[in-house]
Amino acid sequence: MAKELRLVLVLTVICVVSAAVLGLVNALTAPAIKAQNEMAQQKALQEALPAASQFRAETSFQAEESTGVVGVYRGYQGSQLEGLVFIVEQRGYADVIRLAVGVTKDGNLAGLTVISQAETPGLGAKITGEKFRAQKAFRDATNQDQLAVTKDKGQVEAITSATVSSRAVVRGVNAALAISRSLLAGEAQIGGAAK
Amino acid sequence: MTKWQIFKNGVFNENPIFRLVLGMCATLAVTTAVVNGLGMGIATTFVLTGSNVIIALLRNFIPQEIRIPAYIVVIATFTTIVDKTMAAILPDLHQVLGIFIPLIVVNCIVLARAEAFASKHNALEATMDGLGMGLGFTLALTMVCVIRELLGTGTLLEARDFGFAGFHLFPEDLGAKLLILPPGAFITLGLLMAGINWFVGRRGEKKDD
Repeated sequence: MAKELRLVLVLTVICVVSAAVLGLVNALTAPAIKAQNEMAQQKALQEALPAASQFRAETSFQAEESTGVVGVYRGYQGSQLEGLVFIVEQRGYADVIRLAVGVTKDGNLAGLTVISQAETPGLGAKITGEKFRAQKAFRDATNQDQLAVTKDKGQVEAITSATVSSRAVVRGVNAALAISRSLLAGEAQIGGAAK
Repeated sequence: MTKWQIFKNGVFNENPIFRLVLGMCATLAVTTAVVNGLGMGIATTFVLTGSNVIIALLRNFIPQEIRIPAYIVVIATFTTIVDKTMAAILPDLHQVLGIFIPLIVVNCIVLARAEAFASKHNALEATMDGLGMGLGFTLALTMVCVIRELLGTGTLLEARDFGFAGFHLFPEDLGAKLLILPPGAFITLGLLMAGINWFVGRRGEKKDD
């Protein structure tokens, strides 16, 4: 009996000490991790919609699983609404790709940034590169368009041997553009009524 | 064995990757870029050394029957410390290494050294073993990374998280894509392992003569 009791005691002591240490580490790092996440988010919003300087989460937006759009931010410069930024999640080749897609108040695609991805380095991971994100097809896109990669008879130059990753990004952009259409239309009506 | 011999043992004679062939999962998965390999190596070295020291200190306190759960709790604690700290100060590298940081817990090298070395030696020797094994692991990872990153992408030491674009040695289009993909990891590792063992074996034979 004494032996079993010792086993239980030793393991309990080890676990309690471990839990205490981890609690301390968590308390020390949690604020920094939160700050890092917020900074990354802010940076992505800013890059997606360079014209705006302040971003407020659109609270009335209801996320729909099928579109992959998980959040909407309204970008302001002073009190002037400059556009919307959509946080979109799409299934890539290796993992979920999280994008920030900016749309100006006129319905033009303003910018595209990758918040997080785990695609193959050297192949799919190139979706984070300027060459792909800032290509003409994206720069010229408006929310009247339905984009597709060239392989699917579209305009977007996919990354060589990373069509799956490229398609995921295009799907995300399309979802954001589609939702921006209805949101911005509503916005114009309110604006019109105010005048 | 002197402390120095213990240290050298981990780097050369019992190199975890090339000689013991332990910790293959992380080795194959993260070695696409030198920065990733170094980050993984340093994180593992920290866990290895930390858990070795604690287990060596507790070796007379932990009963034989529950040693494995006790070791795992200690190793998991150090791994979580690394995971949290990395997320706080190096978020980009943390994101790249992703799931492989928490998976250090189940890296066989760590448990193997706890069981085979730390539980039978004092804290100082266990520290040397942890550092030696960690360095051996890091060097081996880096060797695989250098070959895969350079021949696969034409760039060396790309580290955008640290604001460094790397050395572009030849255009990316000429890179052998295969090396970046998973089969490239197996091929590179296999050839390196064969080469190193051939070299070590030849040296051993000469000594015998």
